[in-house]
Amino acid sequence: MIGERTERREDARLTSGRGRYLADHDVPGLAHVAILRSTSAHAVIRGIDVSGATALPGVIAVVTQADLDRAGARPMTHRLPLLGVLPLEWGLLARDRARFVGEPIAAVVAATRSIAEDAMELIVIDEEQLPAVVDPFVALAPGAPLLYSEWGTNEFFRMTSLPPVLGDVLATAPYVKQFRLTDHRIAALPLEGHGVQAAPDPATGTLHVYASNQQPHQLRTVIAETCGLDEQSVRVVAPDMGGGFGNKQHFTREECLTAMLALITGRPVRWIQDRTEGLISSIHSREQVHDVTVGYDDSGKVLAYRVDVTANVGNPILYFSGIGPAIVTVGALEGGYDFGVVGFDLRCVATNTCPIGAYRGFGQPQAHFSSERTLDAIAVDLGLDPIDVRRRNLLPDGPRPWITGGGARIDVGPLGPHLDALVTEFGYGRWRDLQSEARADGRLVGIGVSALVQGTAPTQYGVAGRFGSYESAAVAVLPDGRVTVAVGTKSQGQGHETTLAQVAADVFGVGVDRVTVTDGDTAQLPYGMGTWGSRTAVMAGGAVLRAATQLREKMDRIAAGMQTASAEPPTFSEIAEEAWWQTHRLPADEEPGLQQTVVYTPGNTMPVPDEHGHMNFDETFAAHMTAVAVEVDPETGDVRVLDAVLVSDCGVVINPMVVEGQHQGGFAQGLGAVLFEEVRYDDDGQPLTSTLVDYTIPEAPDVPRLRVVQRETPSAVAGGFRGVGEASIIATPAVIAGAVADALAPLGVEITSTRLHAHYLRRAIRAAGYTPDASAFASR
Amino acid sequence: MKPAPFDYVRCANVPEAIAALSGDEGAKVIAGGQSLVPLMAMRLARPTLLVDVNDVGLDGITVERDVIRIGACTRHRRLERDPVIARVAPLLQEAAGLIGYPAIRTRGTIGGSLVHADPVAELPTVLVAAGGFVVVRSGAGTRVIAAVDLFTGFLDTTLEHDEIVEDVLLPVAGTRHGSSFCEWSPREGDFATAGVALAIERDDDGRCVALGAAACGLASVPLDCSTLLAAVLGETSASGALLRQIARVMRADLAGDPDRADLVGLLAARAVHRAFARSDERSAAAA
Ligand SMILES: Cc1cc2nc3c(=O)[nH]c(=O)nc-3n(C[C@H](O)[C@H](O)[C@H](O)COP(=O)(O)OP(=O)(O)OC[C@H]3O[C@@H](n4cnc5c(N)ncnc54)[C@H](O)[C@@H]3O)c2cc1C
Repeated sequence: MIGERTERREDARLTSGRGRYLADHDVPGLAHVAILRSTSAHAVIRGIDVSGATALPGVIAVVTQADLDRAGARPMTHRLPLLGVLPLEWGLLARDRARFVGEPIAAVVAATRSIAEDAMELIVIDEEQLPAVVDPFVALAPGAPLLYSEWGTNEFFRMTSLPPVLGDVLATAPYVKQFRLTDHRIAALPLEGHGVQAAPDPATGTLHVYASNQQPHQLRTVIAETCGLDEQSVRVVAPDMGGGFGNKQHFTREECLTAMLALITGRPVRWIQDRTEGLISSIHSREQVHDVTVGYDDSGKVLAYRVDVTANVGNPILYFSGIGPAIVTVGALEGGYDFGVVGFDLRCVATNTCPIGAYRGFGQPQAHFSSERTLDAIAVDLGLDPIDVRRRNLLPDGPRPWITGGGARIDVGPLGPHLDALVTEFGYGRWRDLQSEARADGRLVGIGVSALVQGTAPTQYGVAGRFGSYESAAVAVLPDGRVTVAVGTKSQGQGHETTLAQVAADVFGVGVDRVTVTDGDTAQLPYGMGTWGSRTAVMAGGAVLRAATQLREKMDRIAAGMQTASAEPPTFSEIAEEAWWQTHRLPADEEPGLQQTVVYTPGNTMPVPDEHGHMNFDETFAAHMTAVAVEVDPETGDVRVLDAVLVSDCGVVINPMVVEGQHQGGFAQGLGAVLFEEVRYDDDGQPLTSTLVDYTIPEAPDVPRLRVVQRETPSAVAGGFRGVGEASIIATPAVIAGAVADALAPLGVEITSTRLHAHYLRRAIRAAGYTPDASAFASR
Repeated sequence: MKPAPFDYVRCANVPEAIAALSGDEGAKVIAGGQSLVPLMAMRLARPTLLVDVNDVGLDGITVERDVIRIGACTRHRRLERDPVIARVAPLLQEAAGLIGYPAIRTRGTIGGSLVHADPVAELPTVLVAAGGFVVVRSGAGTRVIAAVDLFTGFLDTTLEHDEIVEDVLLPVAGTRHGSSFCEWSPREGDFATAGVALAIERDDDGRCVALGAAACGLASVPLDCSTLLAAVLGETSASGALLRQIARVMRADLAGDPDRADLVGLLAARAVHRAFARSDERSAAAA
């Protein structure tokens, strides 16, 4: 039932080795793919000699872009519907130019992956190295090497919104601050990497694809397009997934390439990304620089806020590309605050690095990092408490929806009480006392706070023309009274088999164990939008609720006409039997059977300007308030989280345990992002973090518990749900940065970057003139 | 990430293994496989033949008066948990427990760690700090290599292609011995960014009369730091002034990355502090 801490039903399978992931779908005759990738960041490919590789026993095919052209493969494009985005098309393999290390150049199909890798070593590439550009500011400078000479620039996209009054308000504001904030590059790193398996069916001319992908229907569309097939000829199944986090939201070259390889060789083929491929070529995220100008008054109220965003989008050959998250960043600058006049100047810059794309949070962590650093800076400047500065700037309690300057329709409940709850649950006053005591002892304890209002269940029309804001669900009650639910979303581990079953069970008044949820199969529903953007509870939850409610009403009508032997009303199963088998007894205008397919939209979004020029990208909003206390070791730079509390309002909670899990997981990733992880390149564009020895993710001992306090303000969408999947990954980098900045304030260290890794802090602390105390350190 | 093709032979004794190595220039010994296999998976190592030495009888720990002899195939986990090691080579015991995770430690061997010669690995650092030796055998017989002569660079040793490490020799700790391995890494269980292995012996008056120390993370081999820490000799306790002096000297005199030199200085100070404390405990227990 909705609201219960129902244990996750998929866990019996997933935690006992019985999950079936991409690699667990062997079929007879399966061949294996290895992809040869560029080792140069920028090079002209003059020729590719595959003769040695082709001759190796066990090799079935060696394929280059020329072969794909011959086989009829079509190019991919970014599908960005926005005005001003430069046109860009690319093949499934690099044709004559490689633009980042890791870009696919040739594919080998062989009897085993080992043979395929042996053959890969025999491919000879004749290439001419070109100068590479890694830093977006260098890429914008005159004379920089150009990725696409036909553009005449590396500026892939620019979008500005600078209301004329912005300058006036800044000019007259009592206080103005200007600073640069940096978000470093990270990778989402699902435990199970990307993978795809494609099998042609010669009898029907169709292609059966397994893909570890968050959006199987959209992938079907893209595969059909690039392979020159009808959409109905392709079936995509996303099996159990070991995480996705947006990294598997894109429709990649490799997925379409593997499908083409199946068509070319006429056999089932499988490609499984290895970890190095994952780290160097499978979508990076977050890298942005924000130049902030803020004007405020002496109460700490922000009067004007301008953020110039420079987003490194890498080589932007990605369906919707790094522009997507950057656009979300500039749309989310204010978050849950009223900053008076807001403006931005966004530049998306192409560089010779891995394409930037989606990662859980999708542009919002950068916006939130900047708003929270800005408010903290104001608090320090004016000697105010950071909680008070947030209170001054939070959206007022009414009206709802609160319509922002741009047209976002923010429907959260009053925010003040959430902040009050945070102060109480965290023990804010007590932590400030403990902090004073610690400081008196020379210890560096700091407190960080964040107030997040997040848009959830978005339409992504603006970032990819084909992302509609709806979801499909097919619900049926079988003759034995069991309920089946099929949805167009795709669980990557979030527990949808449980939560969506709870929604259906709640409507039908049956036990959750009667309901079976399936997802990720394009054969089940005509179309669906998949799982991303904190959308599944709102969109699939709403669709299931609608379909189940319609069925429930039908069952009530049938039951009303049923004769039972006893005086008891008919049971759930008896009504199901009646509907399927005793069709002659049904009311005259009632169709037989119990099945209902619904395509549901809450209908709140408007991705193109309406008559007021307003756009609203999110079906509903959620509010999350976070506080952490940390201690920084000035000798080593280690950050230890002493306490962390998140007050969560995601509307009606389907399963509090699952919500806690989402928050805990996002906390781990957010903490990892700022304390441990960083994708690094050298100046020539060679990746320096291509294994998990160098790309260090947090491990169990590194992640403390996040205390979650749940409050419920139902939304107006079906079920009263709001999205929750991204809240803590958005809030955590900002709140940790705030706490670290607070901790290091006595040393005069300023925090203007998400790089809070021990080695960076250690250097910053030394640079501020701190001399380590060996004696104190020795006895710790 | 599949290794290049290779053959495999599991040997029953050392001479068989030596013969297999001598017969193939591309052959390589495999023990726990915890360093070699990842390198093979990335095709950074491409042995043509793997000579498995897990069954050749090279595990075992024997104490011979003032020397402890450890078979090359002894697992890190055993070093970590064996009560004899805890008594006679506490520095080795502590260091072994800092290697990776339990799953790594139950496979990885001391011989493999020393021959792999990772510049931030714990056991090579202990070998240098303790002034140990390895006993190696080839078709030509056996020879003994001192720690400082074994490591020549990043993943490089003076071992010949057809030589197998049979034993590792370390001095037995005295009654007033004290030691510590202090390291720093961003995450628990990681390879250290920097680390210091240190052991002291004290006389009946509590004065430090011998000291061995080595640091990892600064150079391509473990660095012998006993001379830099000479100030500890003759001291009876780890005073704050002594600790501060150690850190200062090391920070100033160590070549290489200043951040790491800084860390090594701090870790050395901590190691000295702990070594004295442990020596005090050991002396008290012996009394
Ligand atoms: C995830 C992970 C984390 C790790 N963390 C750490 C850590 O924190 N600290 C650390 O020190 N190590 C760490 N290691 C490495 C681990 O300690 C290895 O066990 C050790 O380095 C090698 O021992 P092995 O027996 O596995 O050797 P193998 O991998 O089998 O061999 C390593 C090398 O030694 C040679 N060799 C092995 N035995 C002999 C012999 N008897 N004679 C001659 N040559 C021989 C091999 O030919 C090869 O060149 C880690 C490993 C992993 C996978």
